[in-house]
Amino acid sequence: MQPKTQMRLVRLWHAALVGGFAVAYLTGDEDTYAMHLFSGWLVVGLVALRFILPLKLNRPNRPRYFTWSILAALGMAGAAAVSGVGADVLPWLEDLHEGLAEMSLWVALAHVAAALVVFKGRKWLARLKPTAVVGALVLLLAASQTALAADAARDAILATYAGQAKAENPAFAGFSAQRGEALYRAKNSVNPDAASCAACHTDDPTRAGRHVKTGRVIEPVAVSANPKRFTDAEKVEERFVRDCKSILGRACSATEKGDYVTFMASR
Amino acid sequence: MRTLIFAAGLTIAALPALAGDHRVAPVRDALVQKECGQCHMTFQPGLLPAASWERMMDKLADHYGDNAAVSAEKGAAIRAYLTANAGRDRRGGTPSRITEARWFTHEHDFPAPVWKRPEVVTKSNCPACHQGAEQGLYDDD
Ligand code: HEC
Ligand code: HEC
Ligand code: HEC
Repeated sequence: MQPKTQMRLVRLWHAALVGGFAVAYLTGDEDTYAMHLFSGWLVVGLVALRFILPLKLNRPNRPRYFTWSILAALGMAGAAAVSGVGADVLPWLEDLHEGLAEMSLWVALAHVAAALVVFKGRKWLARLKPTAVVGALVLLLAASQTALAADAARDAILATYAGQAKAENPAFAGFSAQRGEALYRAKNSVNPDAASCAACHTDDPTRAGRHVKTGRVIEPVAVSANPKRFTDAEKVEERFVRDCKSILGRACSATEKGDYVTFMASR
Repeated sequence: MRTLIFAAGLTIAALPALAGDHRVAPVRDALVQKECGQCHMTFQPGLLPAASWERMMDKLADHYGDNAAVSAEKGAAIRAYLTANAGRDRRGGTPSRITEARWFTHEHDFPAPVWKRPEVVTKSNCPACHQGAEQGLYDDD
């Protein structure tokens, strides 16, 4: 293989690794599990590939510390990814996986710093351009996609409730965050343990709540504090059925559900 | 050298395997985690014998005063997972609560003030005292 082709392939490999690592790092929560899995496996594959292929690149005058930073970054990314694959089968590896993933980010940043020192100035820019562009693109895409997907899912849920609200009441003219807040705070006398929605979800919905009967910590319900809220239509409906019945002693109307979600989305 | 570092990473990744002895097998089923882990931690199926789970799944609409009903389809899948991974009948009996099982009352024979600690709320709030409860780790303290 021509040294030049080889160098190009290595850069492509590097770009894919940076992209895969960035996506895996950014999607480390349950919501984007498929993306997290895919990018994690990509990192495993790419790191393994580097150890399997006996590439010997001709690199005069490369300082020792730079070589070490490469080995450390590869090793850490590999360990983080492999522990992630392991945690998929053995959930108790989860903590280790998170620890390794956090550490690997710092090691990767150290590697970037070393690269900055080694390839300073134009030479560095020229070398890293494709990597930087691909990496940044993948990063941007992943970040915007996850946020947009959550908003779209919530909007779809609200649209469904709006359709039902119109059917229930032809005079329906949109949801109201104020009515939602009133519903949230209203004291009822059906349930001796919990008088209001706020009893478990707390007076301040941006804070974590606690189930009054089981002591279970409940993550904040305000969207600003917890962007995952009201994005799983089936769960939202199931909880409205349960919580309205047990607190209000009756089902909530579609208008009340939409008001509630609108209130939380405004917080 | 490279292979050496990689191997070291793998070894570190495998270390916790040697540490876990007294553990209750954690819940690996996403549906059970989702449906049975909202109001309280997802109790591990190994904590109750199959007959206890069967009885509980028969009346989810009246679940300790709460309504935990799920669709028939989900109910069947949850029931199958819980009973397939259920614990042995420890010294007979099919308690309707983990916290009423003989082994539980035996291990948790504490004076009343312990149960009244504000973060505890109820005996079934295992994570209040066992940090690793969700992962099936109960011998931490
Ligand atoms: C007894 C405690 C309790 C009370 C009181 C309560 N909830 Fe909940 N609620 C929960 C739990 C537990 C969850 C599920 C855990 C979670 O989503 O973090 C939940 C989740 C929800 C969800 C799903 C949110 C999502 O992101 O999917 C909605 C909707 C909801 N509750 C509405 C209400 C309404 C409306 C009221 C008042 C009529 C209310 N809740 C009162 C315990 C309670
Ligand atoms: C709507 C809320 C809710 C849902 C959903 C729910 N539970 Fe419960 N569960 C409770 C409450 C409340 C208690 C009583 C807690 C107490 O008294 O300490 C309880 C108690 C229990 C107990 C007994 C704990 C003890 O005291 O030993 C078990 C076991 C249990 N639930 C299993 C399940 C399973 C399995 C599912 C899924 C099919 C489930 N729960 C879903 C609310 C819920
Ligand atoms: C008030 C705090 C508290 C709560 C709540 C609690 N435990 Fe415990 N539990 C303890 C303590 C303390 C011990 C240790 C007792 C000892 O070593 O003698 C223990 C021991 C145990 C053990 C034996 C561990 C071992 O291997 O030695 C198990 C199993 C266990 N608990 C399970 C549970 C489960 C399941 C729940 C919830 C249904 C629960 N515990 C709730 C405090 C608590």
